[in-house]
Amino acid sequence: MSRSTLFIAACTLAAIVGGAAATVALPAAEVKVADPTSVVMIVNRDSNDISFMDIKTKKIVGRTFLGNNVNPHMVMMSPDGRYVVTGGTRANKAYIIDARTLELVKIIPTDIAPEHLAFSPDGRWYYQGNPEGDSISVIDMLSLTKIKTIPGLKEPLNVTFLPDGSKAYVGNYGAHWVGVIDVRRHELLKKIQIAGVPGVAKLDPDRYLAELHGINIAAPTNDGKYLYAADGDLGVVGVIDPREDKVVKVIRVGPDPWRIYMSHDGKYAITPNNGDETISIIDLNSQKVAATLEAGPNMTGVNFAAGKAFVISSTSGFVYVYNMQTLKPAGRIKIGTNIQLETATTDTADQKIYLAESTTHSVVIIDAKTETFEKVGNVGLFPWGTHIMDSKDNYCH
Amino acid sequence: MPKKYDLGRRLQMVCIALVFAISGSPLQLMAQQAPSPQESDRQVLLDRIAALEKELSARENSPETLTASAGPPGQAPAAQGSAVTGRVANVQGGVVANADISLGPWTPAMPGMKMTPAAQRTAKSTADGSFSFTQVPPGQYVLQVDAPGFERSSQEITVPTTAPINVRMDILEVPGAETTTPGGGGTADTQFLLERIKTLEERLNALEASTVLSEPETRVKRVEVYVDKNGNETDQAVPGATKKVTYQRERVYRRQTINEKIEDALSEQEKRSVKVGVSAAVIPQFAVQTKGEPAEADGHAYLLANADLFFTAKIAQHTLFYADVVGISGTPPDLEVPTLTLLNGFTARLVRQNELNLREAWLRTELFKQRLALSAGRLDLTNYFDHNAVANDETSQFLSDALVNNPALGLAVNGSGFAAVYDPKKSFNFKIGLQQSNPDATSLSDSLFTLAEVGYFLNPFKIGQGNYRFWYRVNNGARTTGPGGEPIDNSDRHQTAFGVSFDQRLSPTLTLGGRFGAPQSTAVSGRDKFYSGALQFRNHLIFNPADYWAVGYSQLNLKAGDREQLVEGYYNFQIAEKFKLSFHVTHVLESRVGAPKAGFLVPGIRLQASF
Repeated sequence: MSRSTLFIAACTLAAIVGGAAATVALPAAEVKVADPTSVVMIVNRDSNDISFMDIKTKKIVGRTFLGNNVNPHMVMMSPDGRYVVTGGTRANKAYIIDARTLELVKIIPTDIAPEHLAFSPDGRWYYQGNPEGDSISVIDMLSLTKIKTIPGLKEPLNVTFLPDGSKAYVGNYGAHWVGVIDVRRHELLKKIQIAGVPGVAKLDPDRYLAELHGINIAAPTNDGKYLYAADGDLGVVGVIDPREDKVVKVIRVGPDPWRIYMSHDGKYAITPNNGDETISIIDLNSQKVAATLEAGPNMTGVNFAAGKAFVISSTSGFVYVYNMQTLKPAGRIKIGTNIQLETATTDTADQKIYLAESTTHSVVIIDAKTETFEKVGNVGLFPWGTHIMDSKDNYCH
Repeated sequence: MPKKYDLGRRLQMVCIALVFAISGSPLQLMAQQAPSPQESDRQVLLDRIAALEKELSARENSPETLTASAGPPGQAPAAQGSAVTGRVANVQGGVVANADISLGPWTPAMPGMKMTPAAQRTAKSTADGSFSFTQVPPGQYVLQVDAPGFERSSQEITVPTTAPINVRMDILEVPGAETTTPGGGGTADTQFLLERIKTLEERLNALEASTVLSEPETRVKRVEVYVDKNGNETDQAVPGATKKVTYQRERVYRRQTINEKIEDALSEQEKRSVKVGVSAAVIPQFAVQTKGEPAEADGHAYLLANADLFFTAKIAQHTLFYADVVGISGTPPDLEVPTLTLLNGFTARLVRQNELNLREAWLRTELFKQRLALSAGRLDLTNYFDHNAVANDETSQFLSDALVNNPALGLAVNGSGFAAVYDPKKSFNFKIGLQQSNPDATSLSDSLFTLAEVGYFLNPFKIGQGNYRFWYRVNNGARTTGPGGEPIDNSDRHQTAFGVSFDQRLSPTLTLGGRFGAPQSTAVSGRDKFYSGALQFRNHLIFNPADYWAVGYSQLNLKAGDREQLVEGYYNFQIAEKFKLSFHVTHVLESRVGAPKAGFLVPGIRLQASF
């Protein structure tokens, strides 16, 4: 036996002994969530964890700590219900949690400041957007490894996949184009410009050369025939035909639309226009603005439930309500004073809305029918967003 | 031993450097002070290897090692399946025993699918890190391995496999979490520790480059607690305790970039400051007579310059202070062109040339979940009423006063007053207000202007939003003498008016607005009549996306017989966010009792800056 073989054998044996000693006291992970649709996931920016609230009991059934100063941004369940993932904005890493045991099972380095994310329809690919890295990290959910980084984007915020999973569309908030990605090769195929910058832009450099408010998301219609992308600076929504990847119509909405949200029945889409504190309701059939209605300041999200739209006005403490049958305002719900509302998810029955309220570390549960609400406190520090598996309103800001 | 100690010390120093770096103290040199590794004692190592060889041999012959597999012990492989074997090790090559291993097919997610079936086969690695599954049918599988303190390993394999599978487990590092000793660590490995040092050094560099190096932040939060009569405070409701609001400090681990810190500071500063706004306009106009006997105004040019300074400050919860100081000078056409209504809406502000005037100064507070807004002070009451979307603002829409205001409202001056607006943000809203109407009056009782309005939001046939309003007003200070100049009683002073107003979006490009008003005539018995209508176009026939244009018509029929017909069109260039340029053309036709008709064409330009 050579000396090197002897050394390896020695190390191996030592490892056996040490390993046995180290693992004896560690119990097997228990199953904390048997049904992944039974919980609301809450991403807590300042306590750096994901908390899991049982939908029926409204109790926190588990928390997964990710590490100090991770500052997770958005949380999402994988389509197969096996994993929960989040991007740690300050840690430049993606975190993968076992959805049953709620144990952190993998940390994967990404590019700079990972925020919003999406899964391919088959659940195989986890696309993690890195707005400050101008890239998307492609994570293989089978091997739980990052297999590629797609460069060439400009502050990529949200990614959406076609239903067949062949292409993905990236909203670039730092530009006026939507990126088309070939999912088979994980490569940027094309840039689709939503609309040109008006000629008078050169007279207004303060506006057009300062902070850029471009495209947040290219949201697909329910039938997958079109994608709608709102551009903040240009105040328009571009309609993209994914068969040819070209803009087929440009719809003018109010100033500084934050992004577009699709109603669950597939009839309308809404842009919250923070420039003039209105919302534009777009008829998806005629591809025209059906109504422009008064709303509130600093809108961060729109949820649909019980035939209504609920628009979150972050700094006012109000959720504005609109009747989606009559396209008229239907009042507003005062959640509180001196609070900051973040984003919300809707349950799969379209009855309850789970709204993160960061100031008091709460989740506000709104009954969409009665428009009453209750607060669940101590969900974690600075809850930033919520997520329910299979919800149609899973988004972030 | 010295090697391990030195590396551990070096690691410790890097960690300390991280902590100091976060708190703002540079500590670059300390990490470079670690001494180099020393040679191990050869003989000691050889003796140890000999002893370990003996122990290894004994373990390899023990029955538990041989039977630690997923399949039943001693069972022969089936003819239709093959074995999957492998070994679990850490990054240093040390074995990981007792790891949870699962083998199952990978199933793509399907719509409506709630859970992927659990892995079909499970096992644990043996003491030497090995594992095996027997009778595995051919196909594609996912092999997953979990062990405490390690990241999950997951890989796709094809069965039958040609060789044992070596699974390498990476340590799971969670800064700030309680430390878990990874299984199978065995001996400290030089390479491993060097890699860890390198990782931490990279992390330190990343932190320095992208973050504010600060302690974890402390923030004051408003919290709701329960306090009983003895002052005992609890977080949850308990019998005898009442809910109270208090404030307390909490610590958060929110690392912010320098940009975010600056933005927060500026935002906080802005909230506490008095905001100043400016709205300035320059309006040259020309008058060309088109009908009637020659008038002085024919061929004359006019120029009016106006500047408004706005001050707003938040002084309490949902309470705002607002003041508007205006300076205006110049010669509007209204001083020469004989019209019933003003050709330039800015003229109404012209109280004294070249002097600053306080137009408005009021406080507004919001009550009842901010449904009710109360304003009081020196105000322009008509600002709160008859908000027509297409014809309401002389700074951005029509210039003619007849297409900015409803003359039937009948309030020409600002004064002290009060306004209440109840708006539940549903279909209906209600407004009521009162204001001093005559600045020369010695009491409010002699000059009280009262106005009420009901508004209704409609979306007929889903063509677009429409706002419809009905208002009614009473003014007891409009006249103090009768037609012959004789004093009149208080009851006769009251003059009433009513009117309607609407704006209806007809399409995404076209909005229609209209007004009607019927005030009691000041000269004769009966009511004057006022009508106006306007069409505003956006996103259609424009040069730039934010441009818009409109045409409007108004007609005022006085009960005494005088009549005015006015038409105006304008095109507004949105040159920049704070700068607009609009071209206006107005034609007015005046018919006075006992006088020939007179017509004037009044083209004009408005340069408007608002910031």
